[in-house]
Amino acid sequence: MKEIELPLELEEMKEYLEEELGDGIQEIDTEEIKKGLKNTPMKLIWLKVDRDDFRNAVKSISKLQVPHLSVTSGSDRGDVIELIYHFSVNYGFPGDEISVNLKVHLPKDDPTIPTITDLIPGAITTEREKQEFLGVEVIDIPDSRRLWLDEVFPEDKYPWRWDDKGMEDQSRYVHDKEEAANPPTAANKRRGEDDE
Amino acid sequence: MSKEDTTYEVPIGPIHPALKEPFMIKFRLDGETIVDADPHPGMNHRGIEFMGMHRNPLKVIPLSERICGICSIVHQHMYTSAVEHAAGIEPTNRARYIRTIMMELERIHSHVLWAGVAAHEIGFDTHLHFTWKIREKVMDLLEDISGNRVNYSMWTVGGVRRDIPPKMYRRDFSPKMYPKIQNTLEYYEKLYGKLEDIFLGDPSIRLRTRNIGILTKKEALELCGVGPTVRASGVKKDVRIDQPYAAYGDLDLDYVIPSRFGYENTGDVFSKTLVRLKEILQSIDLIRQCVKQMPDEDIDSEPKKAALLNKLKKADGEGIGRIEAPRGEALHYVRLKEGLEELDNWKVRASTYNNLATYAPMFLGEQIADIPIIAACIDPCIGCMDRAEIVEINTGEKNSYSHEDLHKLSVRKTKDMLGDEL
Repeated sequence: MKEIELPLELEEMKEYLEEELGDGIQEIDTEEIKKGLKNTPMKLIWLKVDRDDFRNAVKSISKLQVPHLSVTSGSDRGDVIELIYHFSVNYGFPGDEISVNLKVHLPKDDPTIPTITDLIPGAITTEREKQEFLGVEVIDIPDSRRLWLDEVFPEDKYPWRWDDKGMEDQSRYVHDKEEAANPPTAANKRRGEDDE
Repeated sequence: MSKEDTTYEVPIGPIHPALKEPFMIKFRLDGETIVDADPHPGMNHRGIEFMGMHRNPLKVIPLSERICGICSIVHQHMYTSAVEHAAGIEPTNRARYIRTIMMELERIHSHVLWAGVAAHEIGFDTHLHFTWKIREKVMDLLEDISGNRVNYSMWTVGGVRRDIPPKMYRRDFSPKMYPKIQNTLEYYEKLYGKLEDIFLGDPSIRLRTRNIGILTKKEALELCGVGPTVRASGVKKDVRIDQPYAAYGDLDLDYVIPSRFGYENTGDVFSKTLVRLKEILQSIDLIRQCVKQMPDEDIDSEPKKAALLNKLKKADGEGIGRIEAPRGEALHYVRLKEGLEELDNWKVRASTYNNLATYAPMFLGEQIADIPIIAACIDPCIGCMDRAEIVEINTGEKNSYSHEDLHKLSVRKTKDMLGDEL
């Protein structure tokens, strides 16, 4: 393997990922936002891969530096559950850090994703959180206990889902009697049923 | 006796009313020595992200600052910058500078507060009272600028809601009055030597902080730790430098790691104290630079809030707000969907979230009496050690350790050590 010299520029980073992952990339976008009087850029890469190429993508990022995973954010997007792994590359080089946001879509009938705790031990907190909040199953997770939610919280309900596994029927609008009579609002809007 | 016979489980936590984040750590003990630490957060999970996804973007601003009392600015800033990123709104440059000044003032406030808590945990209550007394000065300044001692309500999408009046920082503006910001900075500069004498020079504090709670550089990197916790191990991670936000790109600053000041990057409690104290000096310097360079212009690029709300409703995109809070890197992710008034998605990640995983290696092999100071050294929302319970696995018999008992143990250890020295 040829040695890669850090820090990588934004375009170099994009080329590196394209070279490493090839056809595995579904979408790739770069973004640069200038800030302050000196127009210091904030660099980002938005990358979307298929679930089968997900571990390869994490491995390619890990080859550069010990990877820094900030957190995984996740949401219910109708037919799929979207997970975004927020990595950063080039830390330790002033002004050169690039946020690499790695997106994976999981179908609702099979919401499973392989664990990355063997590559990044620090990912355990966020993987446990995704299991209880989105109903994602992380395969081979070393510790699958609940982290934040109480043990009396229902097993098949997930706070960040907008479908029938979500929380809408459990939320109470006690401050507004009219709303209390017609509780489901946000979920319908997100499904596009409440447009008029 | 076999190993199983002598291990005990000690849960510590979960509630202390004075602190924002009650949590519990379950310790496994072999006699006096800790063999495993398992943090259990979530005692007070209020579902703030869920609440945010049911409100419009401007209503979430006051909600976001209530995530934390000590670093309320941090969450406001991350949230508003994530929304600005998602909607393509640029704050004005003056707003960027005012935000930077406020964030650095908050860093001074947070680190001075932490120093007091750390001193209390090892039995030096005079130092607690001293540090919390000097912390009042920066809180007064924050109140003068924003109107509030905590939860400042300064931020809005597009800028800030209150200006810093020129008389507070410009000497030429009112020659008779001494500008308040410089006054406060000089106050801390004068007292800094005393702080360093206490926390770095005092032999009894060194005895309690040196070589305990060690986090190696390798562990710090692998566990994705953040902030002073990992910088004390020599890891160069600081979002202010790596990926400058607000006005940090215009300022001159360097990573605060112990080797820069002639110490070793050991990653023990002493190094973490050192990093935090040196960051107070760095903050003073950064505020001075800001005051010098701050441009005169509007403080808000979107003064009409009804129009802004409409714009945010039409916006479609996702944004990230990522900053270096006093406790380390933190991140907010926001997605706006066209036609949807509420936020489509909001993810909040505070610094302690990532530092939770660093507890296990730090506690390993230490003693019960060291639990308070090691738990405090990552600057979590600590003190949550309200009540500890010792359960003997074989008999199920319970012995309770209250917070006071643990504290007494810790104080006694300091006294014992001093007895050896003197």
